[in-house]
Amino acid sequence: MSVLHLSIRNESDISEAVRQSRAMAGRLGFSTTSAYYIATAASELAANLWIHAGGGMITLQRHGARGMELMTVDNGPGIADIDKALEEGFSTANGLGCGLPGVKRLMDELDIASYPGVRTEIKARKWL
Amino acid sequence: MSAKTNIAELSALLEQSRAAIIDEWKRTVMDLVGHKYPGVLSMDELHRHADLKLAAFSAYFASCREGLVTVTKESPLGKMVYDLSSDHDTRGIKPVDTALYLVALKKAISHQLVCAFPDSQEQFVEFLELLHGLMDQLTILSFDAYATTREKVIAQQSQSLMELSTPVIVLWNNVLLLPLVGVIDTIRARQFTERMLEAITRHEGIVTIIDVTGVPVFDTGVARHIMKAVDAAQLLGSRVVMTGISPEGAQTLTKLGISFANVISRVSLRAGVAEALKLVGRRIESIAGAN
Ligand SMILES: Nc1ncnc2c1ncn2[C@@H]1O[C@H](COP(=O)(O)OP(=O)(O)O)[C@@H](O)[C@H]1O
Ligand SMILES: [Mg+2]
Repeated sequence: MSVLHLSIRNESDISEAVRQSRAMAGRLGFSTTSAYYIATAASELAANLWIHAGGGMITLQRHGARGMELMTVDNGPGIADIDKALEEGFSTANGLGCGLPGVKRLMDELDIASYPGVRTEIKARKWL
Repeated sequence: MSAKTNIAELSALLEQSRAAIIDEWKRTVMDLVGHKYPGVLSMDELHRHADLKLAAFSAYFASCREGLVTVTKESPLGKMVYDLSSDHDTRGIKPVDTALYLVALKKAISHQLVCAFPDSQEQFVEFLELLHGLMDQLTILSFDAYATTREKVIAQQSQSLMELSTPVIVLWNNVLLLPLVGVIDTIRARQFTERMLEAITRHEGIVTIIDVTGVPVFDTGVARHIMKAVDAAQLLGSRVVMTGISPEGAQTLTKLGISFANVISRVSLRAGVAEALKLVGRRIESIAGAN
């Protein structure tokens, strides 16, 4: 199976996203280290859904012939300043503020689109 | 004809056909589900159940004034369905089969209503409506009962898992070992920190080894929980040695830009134990003459 939609409502849903993304990365042929990176990125994105957006959806899928994509969609408050959110140590919730910049380094591509108050969509991809 | 008259007459009809209903219901249940649970469901028991249920139906109908009242789980009838579902669950009877139980009862009663055909077709339709209204409520309750029982089981299990998963090991005088195993969520992190601080106080822990071999991934959330625990341990005067970070874990922490200040990190638990003992002025040595 190469598409999986997971609803993130509770904290325990985050670990399900971690398990599933790690397993999918393994099936797609990623190395143990890369699979660990992808799972950690999934954990960060899912945790952000839970903490900052009041829940949302994360989709794990194969991307093209040689990649994997993590996509989150939520209808939370949104990210007013995306550059700021990507800054090391910036957090509006007393977190470490290392999640989004970390995802950027763990994955190969990161796209963030946010319409505050309407919809936030984040895509993170990694190639084999 | 008023709803009340209909209810009274339906109730009387049920009373009248009680034996026939029980008989038909027992046979259906045995045919449909009995063979799946040899020795678990007996005809005698089914008979008793049916008898009690129908008595509860009569009592329920007697309590209805202007139409069907809602069956709550506290009412005698609701409680009966609830108990049945949780009893079935503990005896390994599947929820589908419990549902079949109720569906079969609905069928048996409908069938007997047809046999004892009431005065008018109109009244017959009303009877069926009343019956279905009641049985649907009971089916919903039994579903709820099943979910509640399950939730209780899950809550108990996660409680036991939690107790199981935060051991504190006194390795040597003033040296503690706390292995972290599994997903570290907010509740587990809090519990871990509490246990660790309590142990440091009780055993005058000078060195605390936190072994993270069993932590599935190190994300910023886990790192933050561990940092807080480490800070608290240091406030109580204990050094912290962290062991068991995997190579992938270490690389990930670097990518996340996280480093644990004031923490001595060792690859293996063995190296961590050696370091901890050194910090309290001890070391492990081979006995002279042994190899
Ligand atoms: N899905 C989201 N919805 C709204 N805001 C978000 C979302 N994801 C991230 N953010 C914002 O970006 C900031 C930085 O996120 P992150 O780097 O993960 O740090 P942290 O989660 O520790 O605050 C957050 O503090 C929050 O303001
Ligand atoms: Mg975050």
